[in-house]
Amino acid sequence: MAQESIDRRSFIKKMAAAAAMTAAATMFPGIIFASEQLENLPKGANLDWKKGPCRFCGVGCGILVGVDKGKAVAVKGDPNCEVNKGLLCVKGYHQTMCIQAKDRLTHALVKKNGSYVKTPIHEALDIVANKMKETMEKHGKDSVAMYTSGQSTIPEGYVASKLMKGAIGTNNLDCNARLCMASAVAGFLTTFGADEPMGCYEDINYADYFITWGNNMAEMHPVLFSRMLEQKNNRGAKIIDFATRTTRSSMAANKSILFEPQTDLAVANAICYEIINNDWVNKLFVEKHCNFSKGLTNIGYGTEDKFKFKDKPEGINFEEYKKFLEDYTPEKVAKYSKVSVKDIKYLANIYGDPNKKVVSYWCMGMNQHTRGTWINNLVYNIHLLTGKISQPGNGPFSLTGQPSACGTAREVGTFTHKLPKGVVMNEKHRRLAAKIWKVPYENIPSKPTYHATEMFRAVDRGDIKFIWTQVTNPLVSLPKTGRYREGMEKDSCFVVVSDVFPTPTSDVADVILPASWHIEKAGLYGNSERRTQHWDKMVEGPGDTMPDAWMTIEIAKRMGYGELFPYSEENHVEEIYNEYRQFHEGAKHGMAPLEVLKKESGAIWPYVDGKSTQWRFNAEYDPACSNGEEFHFYGKPDGKAVIWQRPYEPAAEFPDQEYPFWLNTGRVIEHWHTGSMTRRIPVLHKAMPHAYVEFHPEDARTLGIRNGEKVKVTSRRGSCTLPASINERGLPTRGQVFVPFFDESLLINDVTLDAFCPISKEPDYKKCAVKVERV
Amino acid sequence: MKRLFLIVLFALLMLAVIYMWSKSYYTSQEEAYVQLSVETEQAFIPSEKGVFERAEYALDYAKMPEDKNHERTLKTYYNNRAFHGAPPSIPHPIIDDLNIGEKSCLKCHQNGGYVSKFKAYAPVVPHPEKVNCRQCHVTENTKGVFRNYTKQDFYVPIENNAEFVGGPPVIPHQIQLHENCLACHAGPAAPKEIRVIHPERSNCRQCHVVNNKELKDIGDFIR
Amino acid sequence: MPIKSYILHYEEDKKETLVRELQKLQNCEVFPAKNHDVIIIVTETETEELDNKLYHKLLEINGLKHMSLVSGFDTK
Repeated sequence: MAQESIDRRSFIKKMAAAAAMTAAATMFPGIIFASEQLENLPKGANLDWKKGPCRFCGVGCGILVGVDKGKAVAVKGDPNCEVNKGLLCVKGYHQTMCIQAKDRLTHALVKKNGSYVKTPIHEALDIVANKMKETMEKHGKDSVAMYTSGQSTIPEGYVASKLMKGAIGTNNLDCNARLCMASAVAGFLTTFGADEPMGCYEDINYADYFITWGNNMAEMHPVLFSRMLEQKNNRGAKIIDFATRTTRSSMAANKSILFEPQTDLAVANAICYEIINNDWVNKLFVEKHCNFSKGLTNIGYGTEDKFKFKDKPEGINFEEYKKFLEDYTPEKVAKYSKVSVKDIKYLANIYGDPNKKVVSYWCMGMNQHTRGTWINNLVYNIHLLTGKISQPGNGPFSLTGQPSACGTAREVGTFTHKLPKGVVMNEKHRRLAAKIWKVPYENIPSKPTYHATEMFRAVDRGDIKFIWTQVTNPLVSLPKTGRYREGMEKDSCFVVVSDVFPTPTSDVADVILPASWHIEKAGLYGNSERRTQHWDKMVEGPGDTMPDAWMTIEIAKRMGYGELFPYSEENHVEEIYNEYRQFHEGAKHGMAPLEVLKKESGAIWPYVDGKSTQWRFNAEYDPACSNGEEFHFYGKPDGKAVIWQRPYEPAAEFPDQEYPFWLNTGRVIEHWHTGSMTRRIPVLHKAMPHAYVEFHPEDARTLGIRNGEKVKVTSRRGSCTLPASINERGLPTRGQVFVPFFDESLLINDVTLDAFCPISKEPDYKKCAVKVERV
Repeated sequence: MKRLFLIVLFALLMLAVIYMWSKSYYTSQEEAYVQLSVETEQAFIPSEKGVFERAEYALDYAKMPEDKNHERTLKTYYNNRAFHGAPPSIPHPIIDDLNIGEKSCLKCHQNGGYVSKFKAYAPVVPHPEKVNCRQCHVTENTKGVFRNYTKQDFYVPIENNAEFVGGPPVIPHQIQLHENCLACHAGPAAPKEIRVIHPERSNCRQCHVVNNKELKDIGDFIR
Repeated sequence: MPIKSYILHYEEDKKETLVRELQKLQNCEVFPAKNHDVIIIVTETETEELDNKLYHKLLEINGLKHMSLVSGFDTK
């Protein structure tokens, strides 16, 4: 009966809607309604639409998953979500299909005598906990390590941090966000003293110019790019693509400016030179709100084991900074950056014009850089000199790559040196953590240990004897994977891998734990614009799959830390979030309560008195500003941001006689990172079945390479044979090749170099030297 | 007196000659050529550029009405094509036979519009940069055949292109020579089965990817 | 339970705010038109009284210029 009445009601509702639409059509002939998403629904399907954030990129679109009879059968964009307003991208629309893959991990597997044996999960967890205890007893606390992810949920990151730093007492916890956002974080902390962007996505509605620095937004942050295109069509906003290679974004942009890899440092300085020289500096803003500083130069590239570096900042004044910039006149920079003087002045003009609102967007081009922290500082310099910051439509915006690198890795602090609030080196922060975690203050160690690259080097050396990876695939995503694969295969290290699908990382594991996928567990993610989004569990996972947070809690219980993790299995997400919120109380970082997150499609932090703070550091929008001025950069003790003097330094490895090509790596819109999820989605696999190497047509002609021919790309570290791609998805410049890294069988990271930015420790995947030959 | 005057006059003339000559010599040494700055051509990727073409008319496309009386259907669309992806033959008589196409074709087919003579909307060409139109598009001058042949049906996959109910349908055809989606899928000349309801979203390939159903299925991903 | 459909006209440039406000309401399905300044809503409430309340709430919404009832059904 109830079914009948529901159907009759929905029938009548459709009739009412149809009647209204007919009436409207008589008034406005040719009227069209945005109801295509409702039209295609099967008749009588009782789809239960549940909201959540998308599993993939850092845009953090809101999705609605249609669940029918306990299975996810449809995905659509959440029209209530401010981020995407009902639109998704091809990965987002098909994301739930990956869990239908036949080789999904459903049971724990333990390696016995060279082959994997299906084991009941509780037994496997016992094995892991015992091995962890054993290793700690024999070799000390610092011989065990955990490697989590910017795709872990907030509760997952929180319990990992509590276990390693609070309970066990080691700082051997790092995450793959080190490979993605570390330079952005270091840039924020050195310039502003506080992490994460000061603007939000609403900037897109107000800006006149969008300048992208080395990122292909049309494929990597597609929904944001569509919003920019909408502004381009409606308001005449302009998109300028500043990159090392021509991409889909360049095709849609108003102007595309190409530069030689690594010279973004020089061009940014040249733009500052032009701004100062043409008197476009916002003098009042700089005087009131900025200090000048310089750091060490010639800081190395981190390619040796146990590389250590600490920057020594030194205050300078405006005159010294101006003198430093004399080396970066547009004429001088044009010579080696391959950007014409005209283009540099064009960019400087856009930034310098006080009547134009400019938003700068960047992601991996600037972060995965051996001087990543410096280039982040330099783009902030441009915005600080002109005072174009923290205002609607005006400001720098560092885009995040992973869905929760902000929410989990940066805010919860799953890095070797971080705590949920602050850093391990600071006594006050350790005391706060000890209080909330209810552990003795002495437990939390004060010295950071290994960052991601060093952690895997330590595994190779034998210093780390137990490593547990969650929600990440390091043996495809680390640079120079050749070394790290051998390291993890060694008997000296016991490897535990929690994942949803079998990957090259789980191939070397001693214990494989089956993890729940996104909608099979509840959780929270935080996206690029500081928006935290919550979702409830939508479907049951198969077999013995378990959420990663619960796995950590079970291990902690078995190791004797049960009282520190008093969470229930049904509600652990809620309980953990409420505990975590205590760390961030206050107007500067307050997180929204769970009831708000459950009702709304996400809330931006700082969440103060029921309102999200959209533009930080601007007294008009940010209640945390307390110095009575228009802007207050409260991350720094004196309330002023820092303009850093950073020079141009060449890349760690650049083309020479023997290895004459630049190798650049990156993604494509169809696939996410290492492809373990997206390649198992048939639509996406059919659209992009394998990796390739892109050439410029002139280079291809010189080498005699045709489209689709097999080409071997070799560097000093390894090689990879791939089919050539000419004039298909992307167009590199002459002397450059590009390879996407989603294909685990065409592993381009065997070829890349593990040089990193000495300040942030983020590796540079975009520049190394290779040679190319036909096979 | 006269002699002195003459000497001074010639001396002055001499000096003037020397001065002007040396001035002109030094001026001639100056660089006469002002170096032109080389304008670098904007690079473009053929298969990627097409998606964004005509995007400036996207809002206009959204407002264009549905003209039920003069709509094309996929059946009429395929009437003048030998197979899926073939260049359509020209179904209307053309004015001037002695040209390659170019402006005389583009004047109607670059932007489309209603043609009362043929009581139809002119389809928009997805590749207007190719101006030698009559290299591929020919007229139909007779109805009969030279010798009989077996007619082959070709399959055009337009059902079940979306993996999920309500999801974005895939592009079931190859996109070579029709990279520009709006030309065929928007506007009143679009066949009604494929006319899109949201032409103002310019980045089509953000949600719709190419799963070419004309070729053999490559199957699912296996490790 | 009354099911009613309305055509709404809104003030210039108020489409976004209006649609957002409407989507927040519980018993209201919103169909904004793509190419004209018109929104259609279908309301469904438990009782006449609630329907009346909803109607008055709709009249108060920021940005609404004119609202006309197109069809109404009472399904009992």
